[in-house]
Amino acid sequence: MFVQLKNVSFHYKNTKELTIQNFSLAIEKGEIVSILGKSGSGKSTILRLIAGLEIPFSGSIHINESIMADDKQFIQPEKRGVGMVFQDYALFPHMTVAENIKFGLKKMSRIQKKERLDEVLALVGLKEYVKRYPYELSGGQQQRVALARAIAPNPSVLLFDEPFSNLDAELQIKIRDELRTILKQTGITSIFVTHDKMDARALADRVVVMEEGTIFRVGEPAEVLNNEFTMSPVPV
Amino acid sequence: MSKNVFYTIGLLLVLSLAVLAGCSSEQSQSSNNETKTEKKEAAKSEDKGEVNLYTSRHYEIDDELFAAFTEQTGIKVNVVKGEENELIERLAREGDATQGDLFYTSDAGRLHWAKEKNLLQAVDSETVNANIPENLRDKDKEWIGLTKRARVIVYSKDRVKPEQLSTYEDLTDAKWKGKVLVRPSDNVYNQSLLASFISLNGEDKAKEWAKGIVANMARDPQGGDRDQAKAIVAGEGDVAIMNTYYVGVMLNSEDPEEVKVAEKVGVFFPNQETNGTHVNVSGIGLTKHAKNKENAVKLIEFLSSEEAQGKFAEANYEYPANPKVQPSELLKSWGDFKPQDLNLSELGENNAAAVRMFNEVGWK
Amino acid sequence: MKLFRLMKLKMNSWAILSFLITIIIMMPILFITFEFFTRSSENWEHINEYLLNSYLFNTLLILFFTGLLTVFIGVSMAWFISAYDFPLRGFFKWGLILPLAIPPYIGAYTYNGILNYTGVIQSILRNFYQIEVNQKYFNIMSIPGAIFIFSVFLFPYVYLITKNFLENQSASLVENARLLGSNSFEIFFRIVIPISRASIVAGVSLVILEVLNDYGVVKYFGIQTLSTAIFQTWFGMADLGSAIKLSGILMMIVVVILMAEKWLRGRKKYSYSNSKVRPLKPVKLTGYKAWAIFAYISAVFLLSFFIPFIQLVKWTFTTYKQVLSDEFIGLIWNSTFVAFTAAAVIVVIALIIANFSRLFEGRVTNLVSKIVVLGYSIPGAVIAIGVLTLFIALDRQLLIFYQLIGLTPSLVLSLSLSMLIFAFVIRFMAIGYNSIETGFDKIGTTFTEASRTLGMTVTQTFFKVDLKMIKGAVAGGFILVFIEILKELPLTLILQPFNFYTLATKAFQYAGDERIQEAASASILIILISGVSIYIFHKVLEKEPG
Repeated sequence: MFVQLKNVSFHYKNTKELTIQNFSLAIEKGEIVSILGKSGSGKSTILRLIAGLEIPFSGSIHINESIMADDKQFIQPEKRGVGMVFQDYALFPHMTVAENIKFGLKKMSRIQKKERLDEVLALVGLKEYVKRYPYELSGGQQQRVALARAIAPNPSVLLFDEPFSNLDAELQIKIRDELRTILKQTGITSIFVTHDKMDARALADRVVVMEEGTIFRVGEPAEVLNNEFTMSPVPV
Repeated sequence: MSKNVFYTIGLLLVLSLAVLAGCSSEQSQSSNNETKTEKKEAAKSEDKGEVNLYTSRHYEIDDELFAAFTEQTGIKVNVVKGEENELIERLAREGDATQGDLFYTSDAGRLHWAKEKNLLQAVDSETVNANIPENLRDKDKEWIGLTKRARVIVYSKDRVKPEQLSTYEDLTDAKWKGKVLVRPSDNVYNQSLLASFISLNGEDKAKEWAKGIVANMARDPQGGDRDQAKAIVAGEGDVAIMNTYYVGVMLNSEDPEEVKVAEKVGVFFPNQETNGTHVNVSGIGLTKHAKNKENAVKLIEFLSSEEAQGKFAEANYEYPANPKVQPSELLKSWGDFKPQDLNLSELGENNAAAVRMFNEVGWK
Repeated sequence: MKLFRLMKLKMNSWAILSFLITIIIMMPILFITFEFFTRSSENWEHINEYLLNSYLFNTLLILFFTGLLTVFIGVSMAWFISAYDFPLRGFFKWGLILPLAIPPYIGAYTYNGILNYTGVIQSILRNFYQIEVNQKYFNIMSIPGAIFIFSVFLFPYVYLITKNFLENQSASLVENARLLGSNSFEIFFRIVIPISRASIVAGVSLVILEVLNDYGVVKYFGIQTLSTAIFQTWFGMADLGSAIKLSGILMMIVVVILMAEKWLRGRKKYSYSNSKVRPLKPVKLTGYKAWAIFAYISAVFLLSFFIPFIQLVKWTFTTYKQVLSDEFIGLIWNSTFVAFTAAAVIVVIALIIANFSRLFEGRVTNLVSKIVVLGYSIPGAVIAIGVLTLFIALDRQLLIFYQLIGLTPSLVLSLSLSMLIFAFVIRFMAIGYNSIETGFDKIGTTFTEASRTLGMTVTQTFFKVDLKMIKGAVAGGFILVFIEILKELPLTLILQPFNFYTLATKAFQYAGDERIQEAASASILIILISGVSIYIFHKVLEKEPG
């Protein structure tokens, strides 16, 4: 198992009830998993726990056989080798596209950095925008820069938090398809959080449906989405 | 986590604070040199030492006199200019470590406080004793009065005849209802005035007086002494309790309007038939833990000398404490007067009682 | 085991530095608190009987109306400037910050100088038209007068913070309202005021703290407030114990205000993590509307800056010959040096603590951020005594060390400028901290999280991302503190080293002796230096993309 969460529980400060309760999930290398759920179901929190942005209350998290968090240890996010694409992209407004993408590249020579930049830019098809600032880009372009930035340092796991929520429907479909191609091309293990079952269906190898901090259902997209959502639809 | 980065930042911060402290103290040193030695040329001072002074007086004449002193003796005068009460507190907190040699302020009450708090020591100097009359010195020689100020009644030349005026007590008479002007009670000069009444007439009489003044006030107490003179001329009231000093300042103002105001008011020395006009002093005391005692005494002697006293009289509209020196022409034109017969230490002793009394009678 | 993990996680260098600084800052405050409990306060009953109620009433009265007026002036100015285009808008945009350059007590002296019997208005009426006016209508030395003085010289705090918010963050809401057919009045009262609540509250609480701490204006006007009561018991009755008790009451009012501020600001976070921040486009006005707004803003500008400024310039011309000397070069240097250094220290400390408390939220961190701003609530003179006590104690500890390196004087630290600068840091930390905290609030934590998932540590992130994104707020905080210190008086008067004078103490030297005309030269220099800083501040903010 490449990513493994065992009995993870978590609650935010100032709240008593657990946001995540006894959550366990194992993900294989190269797998694309979609976490589907209503807002408040705790799906984004799972991503933050894997990334190391939140500290679990109990349970353990492993990535690639090493402990990321348990009762004794906690690895800081910068040491985890996890990439993340944020809901609103969080592109650094004071940096150009190139600077944003090169931001996570460490221990590389200048030439290597340049090569890597060109590589990921080619992957997302934004070569001519290197010198632009984020605010000079459209929403779809920003989204792709965010993806390129997250991919650039070669993370072992890539996390997406509602990646399409700021895009219009047409763009959403286009980018979704592109994204699956890119992810399968690079073979990165990926986890998506979404509230849109179409996203989940189009992207994922496996779908996890969350409700109130626990797993409600897991399985292949076709099976999970066809059965369950006719009965209790997730609002879009 | 790269701890090293953290430590570097921490270290840098501490270092920069240290450097800052270093350069700042250096800076104050160099500014010392700039302001003081510049004029007197370093060559002359050839390290005759220095004397450190805490003063609440902010007059240019003081600076000129200190410069003249340095000129004569080569002793450098270092100055902290603050407010009297804060300076006393600072001296008290510094204790035996203090670098202040002299405390100089314009109220006998505050000098007495400094003495009470055990911050001063006696100065026994033939020169000073010869220059300054005994009643202007502390009975234990712990402070020496240098200049005098009279707190008098100032009146409208248009509406009041001097014959109508007599005493401070008379201002509480019903005929002055709505006509008396005076500044707020948080002012030291008012506090010392009331303190002197407590000494001379007793608490009950003093309180009665304060109550009477409040009843006769033309308006809520506000502004400074000058503002009272202006209010007279503007017709808000007819008489004011003020220091003569400020009439002098206004008569010599750069602003012709202020001169006009000062010309329209008269100065009246009250209580000449009874117990005398209230007089307060500016005085100086040697601190208990003075490190430059000899130089400090030299400075006191210099300030009491005829030369220095003459300058006080001319430039600052204050009455000289040294009887050999004549007051300025202006002050002489107001005539001679009989001062209160009172040991000025009592102003300090009764200060707190005076403040409480002001509050009790509602003198703002 | 978990506790151990927790400790390891929490004890990073940001935490250690923050705690260290907090402890250092707290020391003088602790000294004061100690005296609060140990000093006897023999006059307390007297104060309670004769002073407390009326003083408290006056204080609250002034606070309430000054608050109301500054909100009204500040918010309306902010709204007009950010939503409309009219003649001279470009100038007013920063010109309306200029009143901050005038210390309120100088403003009070100046206004009295203009309005009183010998002032320019009455002199002209009298000398040219033979009109004698009723002094009642020209007397500014009253509670309404004090409210006027505080309002005109302090409203820029509200204006500044609200304007920044409106310009950068209200575009979609306001444009929506316009599309929905709301008229300007509706937009102002139903949209602008509610959405800018957080900024208004932040601005007005600065105003209130300034007013609470003022001594110069109320003393000159003869108004009895809590701060005059403190000085009267301390100096008039030699009762430091009661004075400290009164300061305690003052501090309690401030704590209540700060809590109210948090509560009023609401739990809403006003951060954007979207890279698209659209500035509000001002609507070009023509005709009578343009001129009406122009007239209103000009009137405020005239009253709050231009008129007193011109009066001071005039006085400078009549007195500069006897006042101005080459000594002033030293004064300018001293003033700017101290203000610059203290402001720099404040900004660095505020950055460390604000970043710490934002990234490691919790009760302890919350407390830290409260403590560091406490100094703003304590009267300057009381802080000064605390700092003095601390430094003298330090000097005594270091005595052996001084002798070792051959220094003769027994007081080194407490006679150096470091004592004064330290006191400034405690006193004005709140202003720098507020500005920087607002900056951090605005960017939120997403950028920091993004940077950390890209492999940067908290510290690396701080330098590469956070600091660069809030540099406007940093510059803003720096300049506000710088101006405050240029104007500061009570701390400087008590803690100055020998022969160390500043422009403010020079102005006070004359003003304290009722010679406001002679005080004009130093005051004008304070105003000019502050004015230039304000202009630079404005330019820095203009360049900020959001």
